[in-house]
Amino acid sequence: MTSIPTLTTDRLILRAPAPKDVPAFATFYASDAARFVGGPLSEAETWRYQCQVIGHWSMRGYGRWMVTLKDDDAAIGLVGLHNPLDWPEPEVGWYIWSGTGKGYATEAGRAARDYAYDTLGWDTLVSMIVSGNDASVRVATQMGAVRVEDHHHPVHGAMEVYRHPGPQARA
Amino acid sequence: MITVTGTPTLTTDRLTLRAPHPGDLAAFIAFYATDRSHFTGGPKTLREAWNYFGTQIGHWVMRGYGMFVLTRTGDDTALGIVGHWHPNTWPEREIGWVLFDAADEGQGIAFEAAQACISHAYDTLNWTTAVSYIAAENTASIALAERLGASLDTKATPPPSTIPALVYRHLSPSLISKNPPRRAGQPQAQPSTKGAQGATSTNVSSRASASAGSPTGGAR
Repeated sequence: MTSIPTLTTDRLILRAPAPKDVPAFATFYASDAARFVGGPLSEAETWRYQCQVIGHWSMRGYGRWMVTLKDDDAAIGLVGLHNPLDWPEPEVGWYIWSGTGKGYATEAGRAARDYAYDTLGWDTLVSMIVSGNDASVRVATQMGAVRVEDHHHPVHGAMEVYRHPGPQARA
Repeated sequence: MITVTGTPTLTTDRLTLRAPHPGDLAAFIAFYATDRSHFTGGPKTLREAWNYFGTQIGHWVMRGYGMFVLTRTGDDTALGIVGHWHPNTWPEREIGWVLFDAADEGQGIAFEAAQACISHAYDTLNWTTAVSYIAAENTASIALAERLGASLDTKATPPPSTIPALVYRHLSPSLISKNPPRRAGQPQAQPSTKGAQGATSTNVSSRASASAGSPTGGAR
């Protein structure tokens, strides 16, 4: 139903969000773990939000993928290029809700960043991280991004902007 | 370009109903900035309207059907949205309609579009029933539902909504085929299927005003 591309890494597949992802996405967004990414959200809100994630691809020409392990199609996270109307610039974002601590966010984040640089031809990227989301900061740091400024978002509140190395310097 | 693929295009005598694409954003956002949108979940801020447009596109992928952008055949300008809507917490599948601009009312456009959507629901999507959720104060939309042959179903459950909704149940497929509702001089809608696509580009046209469709307050 969409022409969203699929990316493959050593351990992961990044594919288009699909109706089968609704339960996993809803479980994540109902949990306290979603507090840094706009949650918790109700089941109704999460369903609409998943629609939005898909619609973003059409509206922007890029977007976020559901992340799965190579041998299991169950979604373990949402990672990709995100630029809603009220974002200062396009970001690479990640959240992994299953199998955390194994470097999946970094691996998927790198794949998304590579896609931005190598396929879309972008020359810069940020990650917008809600203040206090230390796990996400660690991922950004591992990818070589550095904190460059603060941003106040009307919904998410205080955010930190991490700028990634460009295409030539990426870590 | 990333597109939603496989969405049908419906055509009637005067209208073309096609999948939403980014070129429709400005009209959509302008409508949702007005009070005219209050029966259909508005008014919405720019941010909310942008996100909600994304929801409308994504609904097509999540459900395999969704809301069309309503245009006059030969002029791609978005006049409104009409189609098939079923968020996951809603009790039933809905046929909804919205005309952005009051100036487009009174010409049977919403009727013609909604009729095509009812036919599509029954003939192509194989629905066996369909409802429209309408705010009690939305008299224009209630009148349209009744003109389409729908009647108030007091036993049905309305969706969760900030504005209480009435449930209008459309004629069943067998009744539609025996007694198709039509306006004088208007042949029945003839849905046709063509490939459609989302696209990338932005055109600005500003229109606004609600009319019909589903009420559902903040829910939509």
